Amino acid sequence: MLDYVGLEADLSAEEKLIRDTAREFVAEEVAPDIADHYEAGTFPTDIISEMGELGFYAPNLEGYGSPNVSERAYGLLMQELEACDSGLRSMASVQGALVMYPIHAFGSEAQKEEWLPALGQGEAVGCFGLTEPEHGSNPSGMETRAERDSAEGTSADPSEVVASEDADGFVLNGEKTWITNSPIADVAVVWAKLTSDDGSPVRGFLVETDRDGVETPKIEDKLSMRASVTGGIVLDDVRVPEENILPDVTGMKGPLSCLTQARYGIAWGAVGAARDCFETAREYQTDREQFGGPIARFQIQQEKFAEMATQITLAQLLAYRLADLKERGDLRPQQVSMAKRNNVRMARDQARVAREMLGGNGITTDYSPMRHLSNLETVYTYEGTHDIHSLILGEDLTGLSAFS
Amino acid sequence: MKILVTVKEVAEAADDFEIEGTDIGEQYLEYDLNEWDDYAIEAAVQLSETYGDIEVVSATIGPERSEETIRMALAKGVDRAIRVWDDDIAAADLDVAAKTRLFAAVVDEEEPDLVLSGVQAADDGFGATGVSVADEIGFDWAAVVNHLDTEDDLSTAHVHRELEGGIEELTDVDLPAVLTIQTGLNEPRYASLRGIRQAQSKEIAAFGLADLGLDADAVDSPISRTGMYEPETESDATYFDGAADEQAAQLADVLREKGVVSE
Ligand SMILES: Cc1cc2nc3c(=O)[nH]c(=O)nc-3n(C[C@H](O)[C@H](O)[C@H](O)COP(=O)(O)OP(=O)(O)OC[C@H]3O[C@@H](n4cnc5c(N)ncnc54)[C@H](O)[C@@H]3O)c2cc1C
Repeated sequence: MLDYVGLEADLSAEEKLIRDTAREFVAEEVAPDIADHYEAGTFPTDIISEMGELGFYAPNLEGYGSPNVSERAYGLLMQELEACDSGLRSMASVQGALVMYPIHAFGSEAQKEEWLPALGQGEAVGCFGLTEPEHGSNPSGMETRAERDSAEGTSADPSEVVASEDADGFVLNGEKTWITNSPIADVAVVWAKLTSDDGSPVRGFLVETDRDGVETPKIEDKLSMRASVTGGIVLDDVRVPEENILPDVTGMKGPLSCLTQARYGIAWGAVGAARDCFETAREYQTDREQFGGPIARFQIQQEKFAEMATQITLAQLLAYRLADLKERGDLRPQQVSMAKRNNVRMARDQARVAREMLGGNGITTDYSPMRHLSNLETVYTYEGTHDIHSLILGEDLTGLSAFS
Repeated sequence: MKILVTVKEVAEAADDFEIEGTDIGEQYLEYDLNEWDDYAIEAAVQLSETYGDIEVVSATIGPERSEETIRMALAKGVDRAIRVWDDDIAAADLDVAAKTRLFAAVVDEEEPDLVLSGVQAADDGFGATGVSVADEIGFDWAAVVNHLDTEDDLSTAHVHRELEGGIEELTDVDLPAVLTIQTGLNEPRYASLRGIRQAQSKEIAAFGLADLGLDADAVDSPISRTGMYEPETESDATYFDGAADEQAAQLADVLREKGVVSE
């Protein structure tokens, strides 16, 4: 795949093996059926555990069975997955960056031991519930609430002490929507306001989806990201025990720090989607003949190749730089915003160019660019819309917040 | 117990390539793990997972570049690797006999109970190294193995061999033995990220001719490559149009016409 300034030549042997393994796995196990899944609106669920065995979920974390690879290797993995389909990368992003990461960073020892190995192996599936029907770009306005539920804990009867300790915990109410994987998830990381605490801080809760009062209806009729399952999380007086709250984080910093992890992967993944579009267009145009020769010989087409390759290369450079900053602990969330914003826009623009370069064939599922193009509409919107990242950068650059 | 797996890094030519002298131009070549060896590695690793207490060692004749391929084998579960190379080997046109002498010397050094090799290499395709090594070191052998069972004490291997014309032979081979492994024997695994990480700290021991008690004569060959050309390809394809039954009718006509089936 396109690597115009030879960045991959400088990868370590380990990173090259990770790239090659991911590429081979995707080519053999996922790519042959992905267009069918896209049409059917299904995710290839049989690969969830295979990807787990290979260590594709949060491989950059430390301990609990994680292989602990470099941030660059993690980026390369996201790039290879999204070169196949954004839905595949979304699976890995949600499971790794949005579910395993907060448990790893903010969870109790018991939560880590219960969930990280199972999620890492793909034996359990997780989802991340932040967005609500009335609160998308501004999640801090969330209405989902949790209250301490210790009614029985106050019982005077000593014989009930054991039972009352069990009953200690929280009651959750509210609704989340647009949640990747909620219909197939075993556990949801739900962000809710703890109204029984002073100031109603946002807290994270691990909610097993088989608890009474939890529903995870599927969202049908998507025209984008079709090879990925999306749904809601409806919480109706859902009781979770005390040990299900993430103990070590309070406030919006919890969900936002997860999003920074996931956006880092998206900045890499978008380059993968764009590279796949480029290669598809190059192969098609050097093969397809019109006016007595391959269409790639026309100057108008060559201008498109030149621009596409340049934009992809610039985005790739940004992703590599981010990896270095992240590896040494200097990466700021605003820098991730810049890369998510730029690279996804780039991929969306270039997917469209690639689509047009394929003529009529370009609108079928036989070729990837239009599938990428429509997937990238979601990627442009989720994990902070393009506009919201403009405002984050604007605030960082001027010191003036547009949000207030 | 110890299993030695021969692992080759094979060259694969790009779709469009040019011949330079008696070889394909280096710029058109990419290198990868030989497909048959991938199955041999999987067989060895599965045996070691089943029985425990089995060391899996890979042996490769190849330049430093081949360490990338060797790391893939290590990432899939091979415990340690041997790479045989030096200037004399690099200068030689390695034939089966030369490779046999090198591998036989490695076997002397390692004393394995079982040697697994691929049936053939995807690039030069001699398809003889495994059996030739067996002959040299005096092990029993079975070639083109597509099914493998072992006695619990690992004294005997029960194998299916694929012969020409769709015939299968069932044979028992007593260990120590050499088996050449056919594709389809198992499902080779992908290297996991954990395996890839661990592979970075596994040993790849480098051996030259002298380390194996050999000299430059060992890689002498009476065979030399005198030319290389692309054979003319004659393609004579007929496309049938129409619905399935129309296509079938047209195909039947052609088969009758060619005398494949009677009227
Ligand atoms: C397929 C898919 C999967 C998803 N997966 C998840 C998931 O797993 N978990 C999760 O929590 N969420 C998920 N989301 C939700 C996603 O993060 C939200 O859709 C996103 O944050 C935008 O929210 P919204 O859709 O409510 O749009 P809105 O916030 O209503 O925005 C609508 C438009 O207004 C613009 N806008 C909003 N505010 C401003 C402003 N202040 N200034 C300028 N413009 C503004 C936006 O840029 C956008 O163009 C997913 C979404 C999709 C489509």
